[in-house]
Amino acid sequence: MKLNYRYTIAYAVITFFVLSIGFAIVYAALSRSVTQATIGRLEHLNEVVASRLLSSRDSAGLKSRPNVQIRLLPDTLRQPRTVVVRQEWDSALQARVAVVRLTTYPFVSERRYAITSRASVVEPSDVYLTGLVLVFAWTFVFLLALVVILSELLSWRILRPFNATLRGIQQFQLSQKTPIELPRSRTAEFEELNDFLVRMTARAQRDYQGLQEFSENASHELQTPIASIKAKIELLMDSDELAEKQLGLLAAMHDELERLAKINQSLTLLAKLEHYESRPADLTDFSQLVPATEAAFADLAEMKGLTTTQHLAPAVRVPFDASLAQLLLNNLFSNAIRHNVPGGEIRLELSATELLLANTGHAPTAPVEELFGRFKKGNAALDSIGIGLAIVKRISELYGHRVSYDYADGWHRLRVVFAPPVG
Amino acid sequence: MKILLVEDHPELAKSIASYLVQENYVCEVAPTFDEAREKLVLFTYDVVLLDIMLPDGNGINLLKLLRKEGVESSVIIISAQNALDFKLTGLSEGADDYITKPFPLPELHARIKAIMRRRSPHKNNVVTFLDITADLESLECRVKGKVLNLTKKETNLLLYFINNKGRMLTRQAIAAHLWGDYTDNLDSVDFVYQHVKNLRKKITDAGGQDYISTVYGFGYKLNAPD
Repeated sequence: MKLNYRYTIAYAVITFFVLSIGFAIVYAALSRSVTQATIGRLEHLNEVVASRLLSSRDSAGLKSRPNVQIRLLPDTLRQPRTVVVRQEWDSALQARVAVVRLTTYPFVSERRYAITSRASVVEPSDVYLTGLVLVFAWTFVFLLALVVILSELLSWRILRPFNATLRGIQQFQLSQKTPIELPRSRTAEFEELNDFLVRMTARAQRDYQGLQEFSENASHELQTPIASIKAKIELLMDSDELAEKQLGLLAAMHDELERLAKINQSLTLLAKLEHYESRPADLTDFSQLVPATEAAFADLAEMKGLTTTQHLAPAVRVPFDASLAQLLLNNLFSNAIRHNVPGGEIRLELSATELLLANTGHAPTAPVEELFGRFKKGNAALDSIGIGLAIVKRISELYGHRVSYDYADGWHRLRVVFAPPVG
Repeated sequence: MKILLVEDHPELAKSIASYLVQENYVCEVAPTFDEAREKLVLFTYDVVLLDIMLPDGNGINLLKLLRKEGVESSVIIISAQNALDFKLTGLSEGADDYITKPFPLPELHARIKAIMRRRSPHKNNVVTFLDITADLESLECRVKGKVLNLTKKETNLLLYFINNKGRMLTRQAIAAHLWGDYTDNLDSVDFVYQHVKNLRKKITDAGGQDYISTVYGFGYKLNAPD
């Protein structure tokens, strides 16, 4: 859920509660104020009656006389006024209404009177309530709409640097040469986050590059001693004094050394490719390169008794450096031949969007997606070092092409889906 | 034929030099940039074998210097750099060839021969081994005067044998020579067996003698019979 949705929901809940409480208060205050206003009027009426008593005038002429009751009290003690509110049947309204009775005890001409006046009050009833609820509901809806729209606008504005930072992190690659680029922000927290990210990625990049350089230099430095040992073995082989047993030992050493050199070369190559900056503007004509590579491997395929079928679209130009494309195809072809069965088949399909290389072969023993890793081999019996597919994957990634591999019905299928052309 | 080997690793330099001497080259070794420059100023060499990483400088700079001074020696770069480096960065610009470490010594020999041939194309275009002859221009091979019907790879293989006659050629060395950059296949050595078998059959079918001997588990040797 997006951050601003969470805010909006929280805000809606708060608004709902605040409005409900507000509604209750307003309702209570309204009903109270109606009673209070009535009491105020009755007080005035009682005062009028009391002043008439003082001037010994008869109150019988008063219009409101039926609603006033005057009693003479036996004692002259001061008493506080009393208010009684009761639901009663009102014949004038033909309904039960709240009746307010106010009794005051004025001291007139040395005598204590009790004057009780009454009045019916129409309290806020259901209709009143509905009206109020409607007002509050509309306020709520209006507020909510405002919150939704504003939160969308505000979060777009306020969270813009945050979203930009997120995009920056997504695009960041440890192997890139430039530091991560994050936009400046006026918000202190975002600025802090950006600072932290910049520092952290810079450190990670430095460590990564150090590691890369180390492994590259290590592999590179190993090549010369290997070359030296190999040359010495070759010189030794040519001496005539060797018995067959010694020659056998030398041969085993030589083979192992060859293997070591190949592993080392592949690792150096992979490290090189990590640093390599691709230029997507370089285009390689696969319609020419694929058949040319096929021809170069033709004698190998022939010796294994493989038949090759090709369906190649003309003029397929793909973003690739020519020598990297050659390396990629070499790896794919030699895999297709190596992991084939004698008398098997190779199928080649090239279209404007993808290259498919399928070959017959035994089922791989490892999960297919693992084969793109280093030193993963689908068939342990074969004398390969298992780094070819890692190189294929790396080269493809340089240009944004996607490589996939699957095995079904006795066919290994390696697919390179070309990245859409730039611009 | 005079060769200058510029290589700072003393053992590797010793091995290469002793191999080249066996092949009847005159080989001198310069372990540093300065020494190499000095030697190149004072003497003339047919071929310079140039390592790139030198303790006191970069071999590429030496190459540039050579070309600027108009020194006419052929240059083969021998480097631990990956083959892809040369292709991607044009590292070998100005050099006649490059070969990446570790390389089979016979391969180095074949490269030197190829370069020498390019330098003087009209001189001695036919290589011979006893009754086998190969014309380097037309790539026509004959046994006792009879033309052999060889594929391109087989011709290449026969030339490699003749150029390195009397030497052990490992299967890996042959594979590297025949397929070069195309394959890192360690099992392409099995295909070497097929090619050698076909070549031997074609030679004997044409009435020639099979001079190629197999050293089991190792490789092949083109030997004159005792």
